Amino acid sequence: MAAVAASAPGTVRDLLKPEVLASLSNLELVARAAVHGFLNGLHRSPLFGFSQEFAEYRAYAEGDDPRFVDWNVYARTGRTYIKRYLGETNTRLVILLDASASMGYGSGPVTKLHYARMLAATLAYLASRQHDAVGLIVFDEQVREHRPPSSRIGKLSGVLHAIDRAEPGVGTDLRVPFETFRQFEKGRGLVVVISDFYCVPEAMIKGVQPLAYQGQDVVLFQLLDPQELKPELRESAMMEDMETGESLEVSPIFMRSRYRERIREHIEELENCAAGAGIDHELVNIADSLEGALRNYLLFRQVRRR
Amino acid sequence: MTLLAPAFLLGLLAIGVPVWLHRLSSTNPDRQVFSSVMFLEPGEPRRVLAKKLQYLLLLALRIGVLVLLALAFAGPALLGAVQNLVTETAGLHVIVMDQSASMGHGERWQRAEAAADSVLGELGTGDVAQLVAAGRIVEVVVEPTLDRDAIRRGVATLEPGPFSLDYGQLMRSVDSLVRGAELPVTVHVVTDAQRSALPARFADLAPRTALELMLHDVSAAPESNLSVDGLAWSPVSGDFVASVRSYADEAVERTLTLRLNGAAAGQRSIAVPPGESVQAPFESLELEAGGNRVTAELTPGDDLGVDDTRYLVVKRPEPRPVLLVGADGRGGASPFFASALGTLAAQDYRVEPVTAAGLADRILEDYVFIVVTDAGVLADEDAALLRGYVESGGAMLMALARGSAGLAEAPVTGHAFEPFSDFGRREGEFLVVGTLDRSHPALGLMDDVRRARFYRHVAVEPRAGDRVLMRLDEGGPLLIEHTLGAGRVMVYGSSLDREWNDLPVQPVFVPLIAQLSAYLAGDLQVSFEARLGSALSARSMGFAGAQVFAPGGDMALGIAGAGAGDDVLVDRIGFYEVVGAGRTELVAVNVDPTESDPAAMAAAELTRWQELSPGAQQAIAADSGIMEVPPTELWPWILALLAAAVLAESWIGNRHLKVRRGIAA
Repeated sequence: MAAVAASAPGTVRDLLKPEVLASLSNLELVARAAVHGFLNGLHRSPLFGFSQEFAEYRAYAEGDDPRFVDWNVYARTGRTYIKRYLGETNTRLVILLDASASMGYGSGPVTKLHYARMLAATLAYLASRQHDAVGLIVFDEQVREHRPPSSRIGKLSGVLHAIDRAEPGVGTDLRVPFETFRQFEKGRGLVVVISDFYCVPEAMIKGVQPLAYQGQDVVLFQLLDPQELKPELRESAMMEDMETGESLEVSPIFMRSRYRERIREHIEELENCAAGAGIDHELVNIADSLEGALRNYLLFRQVRRR
Repeated sequence: MTLLAPAFLLGLLAIGVPVWLHRLSSTNPDRQVFSSVMFLEPGEPRRVLAKKLQYLLLLALRIGVLVLLALAFAGPALLGAVQNLVTETAGLHVIVMDQSASMGHGERWQRAEAAADSVLGELGTGDVAQLVAAGRIVEVVVEPTLDRDAIRRGVATLEPGPFSLDYGQLMRSVDSLVRGAELPVTVHVVTDAQRSALPARFADLAPRTALELMLHDVSAAPESNLSVDGLAWSPVSGDFVASVRSYADEAVERTLTLRLNGAAAGQRSIAVPPGESVQAPFESLELEAGGNRVTAELTPGDDLGVDDTRYLVVKRPEPRPVLLVGADGRGGASPFFASALGTLAAQDYRVEPVTAAGLADRILEDYVFIVVTDAGVLADEDAALLRGYVESGGAMLMALARGSAGLAEAPVTGHAFEPFSDFGRREGEFLVVGTLDRSHPALGLMDDVRRARFYRHVAVEPRAGDRVLMRLDEGGPLLIEHTLGAGRVMVYGSSLDREWNDLPVQPVFVPLIAQLSAYLAGDLQVSFEARLGSALSARSMGFAGAQVFAPGGDMALGIAGAGAGDDVLVDRIGFYEVVGAGRTELVAVNVDPTESDPAAMAAAELTRWQELSPGAQQAIAADSGIMEVPPTELWPWILALLAAAVLAESWIGNRHLKVRRGIAA
């Protein structure tokens, strides 16, 4: 029944579909809708029981938010204690968003960058909802936007606006955002890299490995269009690289056979390299809903926290 | 090369369309942006090269298709070179194919075709040939040409017809055909040299134009034939008699079948002695009302089948009333006339005598015609009745005899007449018929009427439009045909008995009465037999509008044509059917019996005929032999090329698409 409800059109989980989210003009609204739909789905799932877990009581000190005072304890003991939760203890989320030209590709109504923006905004909103500090680095060949992590109210809007402003740029250089991150971010936390990862996996992993050594928990979301995973070409075509402008005439036969092998090998290599460096890799087909990516994120966060 | 319709070359502008489309295509409409080409490889060079070559070939083929299409419509033709064909032996060879019925005998026509082919084979390179068919008329089938195959194709379209041929008329027609020819003319007559086709005078075979005559005799003696050359019906006995003639050298036995309206009505075995004719009678048969189709057919047939069947149309006579108005109820003083009518079994008249006073009691329209033996017996009211009868389409014979003495003018018609001439009262004085209108259908072969003596007559003054059929030798009119309304009146200026003349006792009297009565009854106006090749006129048969159906049921003439006076050319053997105005008339058409005789002219006669030709004229003008070889049209070749180009374009196009789509060939 739950499955029926989940797939039925018009339900809140439909909000996780990229084409539905893409129709929303406001990115914050997108994030809210996605999170709302996602959490709604979690309540129905026996696998994930998400809630902010209770950790300890701490005596109220000046500057603490009075909303977290446990008034029941106060009624019994006459003392003010703050109820603390596990989730709000340690997490900082920095999102590295690839806004290179290749991210502007999309065979359907939603481009990879569009999807990436929605995913980044949703993750930022979800983290903010859990009182995590959220930071952002938007990059292509260079860093185009940098927002240090902050859990202050109002910072989320700045992050969301920065995400919203991201447009396809030129080429990609993954070393640049990692260098920037290492320069400015010293504390431990979660690092989410959203990119299509058209690069040499080994070189890219060498760039990100120092972050892992630094104690950062890194997760790579590799966004690919269905046409990049399983291209269908009716006749020979001149393919033009969105970043370099290089053109190649390719045949349908090649795209059906050899290309698919190559992209699969590339993904596997990236996955293996990431696993070797203790980095999580998640392949996201942008035709799929955001639900899978969000689940993996939460699962990843939960596991790392323990 | 020439273009017969150069305006179609504007279609070549359409070449711009494929060029434009291919140019658009060459700018690669399939260019696509892609995230990264780092995993892509360029297509195989060999495949790309093949694609480009096929692309160019496809463009060339498409342009070629359009060019060929425009050329096909423009109709190019290779201009024949203007050649001077004048050589010492060059000439115009006219091949005349005899298409008469006798050419269908046995294998004559096959031999004629071979003879024509042989003539063509012997022609010199510069000789020009012309094909002429001699059937009902002499007509050119293929104009003078150097193309031997055109002549052969023309010969192949010919076949023997049912018509007869007269060699005298043939030579006159050939004369007119070749008159003015600038090349020496040789006429090759391919014929069976039928003796019966010779004209009455042998000299008529002589051509009047300078030509050389070559006769190609395709008859092969001995050849026999049997023909049904006659079929008659006796109105007295009602019997049919068929006549079968033999043109064989030995006695022949056959079965003769008489068919009445398609059904076998009698059959006889006959033995025909060589060269003789036998009569085969068939007993009285039950005829149907109206026209009856009668055929006499010989079985088994012989080599010339066209004369093995004879056709006849017989109308069953029906008793028809004739009113004889006289001074008394027995026909007045005209027993001669009444008895003469009674003997005409074929017409089967039923004479009803009546006095003038009894006219009012009769329905005059029931009578096929009325005879007034003496106009003097008619009162005014009687004359008015008769006048109304005639004006409505009736026919009347009115004699001005003794009773007319006191009249100022002839009743009914109003003709003025002079007082009686009484020359006959004196001994030995009489008049005879002087002039006789023999062109009138009622008076043909009636010259013996001049033997009759006329002692007294009434000199009627003809009125405008009257036709005087007989005049006495002193010039006075004796018999006048006067048209009154839709009918006609014959005014006879003497008596129908012996009182004023001795015509009733002359042998010609009964045939004359038969002809006159047949004419008045309208029987003479319909001919039941038409000559092959003649014109059949529905209007002359009394039809205002009619359809004429040829043997076999094909409509030979529609109502509109018949109303306009169009005639039908009788060109088939059998029964023609004329249908219109509630009645149907049948007309039988038979082959000319002269075509049945297969006897050919002797070799000496043929030689004499050939020697009658003065020979070809050798002196020709220097430029008279310059002829243009007819242009050779190229469109069949262009269409073939077009079809090949379209097929190639489809094949190459398909392969090109395979390359583009990366389908392994």
